[in-house]
Amino acid sequence: MATLSTDLPGGRKGAAGARMERWRAVAARWAFRLPLVFMVLFFAVPMAATVVFSVFERTMFWMEPGFTLFSYENFFFSARLENFLTSMKYSAIAVAICFVLGFPIAVFVRRSVPQVAQHRVVLLFILPFMVSEIIRVFALRPVLQRNGLVNTTLMDLGIIDEPITALLYTHTGVVIGEVLSFLPFIVFSGFLAMEAVPKYIFEVCDDLGVGPWRRFVDVILPLAAPGIFAGSVFIFVNGLGVALLPNILGGAGAVNAGLIATQAITALDFPLAMAVSAIMLATLMGLLWIGHRLFDLTRILTPLN
Amino acid sequence: MQQFDFNRRQAMALLTATTAFGLARPVLAQDAPLKVWAPGIAKVGGDDWTAMEAQADIAIANIAKSARADEAIQKMVVGDGNALYDAMTDNGGGMEDALASQNAIVELDTSRIPNWANILDSYKDGGGSADTIRYEGKVVAVPYISNADSLAFNYDEIGEELTTWEALFDSQFRGRAAMQNDFGPTLTNTAIYLKQSGKGSIDNPSDMTEDEVRQTCEFLIDLKKKGHFRTFWDGVQNGADLLSSEEVLVSSCWEVIQIFAARKNGADIRYGSMKEGHQSWNNVVMLTRGGQERGMEDAFYKLANVYLDPWFGSRTLAGLGFTPQMTGVGDYIEAHPDDFDADTKALLAERLTRKEERLANPGNAWQNVFPSNIRAYQDWWARVQAA
Repeated sequence: MATLSTDLPGGRKGAAGARMERWRAVAARWAFRLPLVFMVLFFAVPMAATVVFSVFERTMFWMEPGFTLFSYENFFFSARLENFLTSMKYSAIAVAICFVLGFPIAVFVRRSVPQVAQHRVVLLFILPFMVSEIIRVFALRPVLQRNGLVNTTLMDLGIIDEPITALLYTHTGVVIGEVLSFLPFIVFSGFLAMEAVPKYIFEVCDDLGVGPWRRFVDVILPLAAPGIFAGSVFIFVNGLGVALLPNILGGAGAVNAGLIATQAITALDFPLAMAVSAIMLATLMGLLWIGHRLFDLTRILTPLN
Repeated sequence: MQQFDFNRRQAMALLTATTAFGLARPVLAQDAPLKVWAPGIAKVGGDDWTAMEAQADIAIANIAKSARADEAIQKMVVGDGNALYDAMTDNGGGMEDALASQNAIVELDTSRIPNWANILDSYKDGGGSADTIRYEGKVVAVPYISNADSLAFNYDEIGEELTTWEALFDSQFRGRAAMQNDFGPTLTNTAIYLKQSGKGSIDNPSDMTEDEVRQTCEFLIDLKKKGHFRTFWDGVQNGADLLSSEEVLVSSCWEVIQIFAARKNGADIRYGSMKEGHQSWNNVVMLTRGGQERGMEDAFYKLANVYLDPWFGSRTLAGLGFTPQMTGVGDYIEAHPDDFDADTKALLAERLTRKEERLANPGNAWQNVFPSNIRAYQDWWARVQAA
C-alpha cells in the first residue's frame, strides 16, 4: 500500500515546524516576563515618578524639575503628620476588629463547612463588592445617624433615651466604615491562610486534649500568619488611603493620608501630594519588609503549590 | 494610468474636490455640537440639555465637570482640555485670570451677544464685579449664576430667624453646627464674622495675611476642641443630608443645599441674611482657545446669549436658587404666568429680594480661589483638621 505523505516538497513542513518551535520557546519566555513588564510599566515606573515629582519645585499651576525636600518638611513638621498618625491609629483599630470578626469566620468555614460548599460560602462575602463602594458607604448614614435605624430601634426598645451621636461623624464612624468595607479581605486571606492548616490538625488537637485558645495560639496562628498579615496590611493601607471614608463618615476635619493628598491637589500643591503618596508607599514597603522577615510571605502561596 | 496621463479634466476634478472640501470645513464646524465642559447647574429646563439647545438654536455636547479648580487647571493648562472642549465654566474672580494668563481661554466680543445689554450693572466697567469676568481689562467670561453664601438653619427647631454668624459659633448649637470642608469658603466666612464683629484684626477676608489666617484658624480650633462642629461637609448631597436628618441645626453652606434639605424632609429650613456679610461668588462661561480655533465662536455666542436671557435667569432662580445675572427677570416672570404659578412667583420674588439684600451687604468678600498666601491657608487648615 502506498503511503501518503503530507510533507511538502523541499521539506517545508520541517522548516515550518522548527519555526513554530522557536516561536513557542520565545512565547514561553515572554509568558514569564510579561508580568514583570507589566509590574515595571504600571507599578515601578509610576511609583518612581511619584518619588521624583515629590522633590520638584511647586509652581503656580504645576511643578518644575528641581530638588527640594520642602514638601517632606511641610509634611513632617506640620499638623499633617499628626493627622497621618491619627489615621494610622484608627486604621490599626479597624485591622484588629476585622481580625477578631473575620478570622473566626475563615476558621469556621475551613473547619466546619463541607469541602464542596466552602468556596460558595466564601463567595457570599464577594457579593457586597458588586455594589459601588461610595453607595455602600453612603448607605451607612441612614443606619448610623441621629435619627437612623440603630438609634430609632434602640429608642423604640427603650434601651436608650437619647440618640447615640458617636456612631457617625466621629472616628468611630470611620472605623465602622473601614470594618464593613474591608472585612471580606481578612476573610479571604484568612481562608487562604487556613488552606495551609491541614484539617487533621484539628483532630490531632482534639485527640491530645488541646484547648481552643492554645490550639489557636500555638497551632493555627503560626501556620496562618502570612495570610493574616497580608490581609491586615491590605486593610491598614486602605484605611490610610481611601479618602471616601473620613469624608463621608468622619467628623469635623477627619482626614487620612488619602484625604491629605487630595486636599494638596485641590490647592494645586502637586509636590506635596506626591510626597504624601511616597510616604504611604514607604509605609507599605516597610510593613511588607517587616512581615516578610517575620512570617516569610511567600508561604501564602504554599497551599497552591 | 501612467503618471503623464494626468490630463486637464482630471486636474479640474481634483481642483473641484479640493474646493468642495475647503468649503465643507466651515459647514462641518457649524454643524458640530458645541462641546461644553460644565456641571449640571449650568443648564435649566430639564434633566438634559435639550431645552438649552432649543433656546440657543445650537447642538450641545455636555461633558460633566466638577467644581474643583485643580481639575480645571490641570485639564486646561497642563492637559488636553483645549483639544476636548469648546467652552467651559468655572468660578469668576480668579479662574478666568488663571486660564487667560495661560492662554487657555480667549477674549470675547460682547457685541456678538445681544443680551449683553441685560447684564447686571455690577459687571459693567467700574462695577463691583467687573474684574470677575475680565483679564487685563478685556472681557473673557460671561457670568451665568452667582450667590452670596450664607447660613442655613432649621427654623422648626430653633424657632427664630438667624441674622448673624454669631449663631453658627454660639454654644447653644454645640455639636449641631457644620461648615464646609474647604479652607476657602470656611475661612472667608469666619474671617468676615471676626472682622465685622471686631473679634479679629482682619483687613481683607478674601486675601488674608499669614497672621490673619492664623487668627481665623485659631478661632475655629478653639471651637473644634470644645466639640462645636458636628462635621465639615463636602458636596451637595452630604450637606443636604446633614440638615435634613437634623444632625445639624445650623450650617454654613450653599443655598442649593438649603433648598434640597428643605425639599427632602419638608421641615422649615431657611437661608438667612447675615448682617456681617457673606462670601460672594459667581460662575462664568468661557470660550476656549481650542473652541475658537475650531470655528465654534458663533455657537458659543448663541449659548452666552441664553445665559444672559431672563428665560435662563428665571429658571435657575426657581430651580436651584441661583442669582440671575441679568435684569428683567421679574418682568419676565410676570409675563409668563403659564410657566410660573402664583405660589412660585411669590417664592421667587421673596428669594430674589433676599439675594439682592445679601449681595448688597458691604461686608461681603469675594471668593478667592488662589489667595496670595495659599500655603498659609493650607497649613493652618491642616491644623484645624488635626485639632
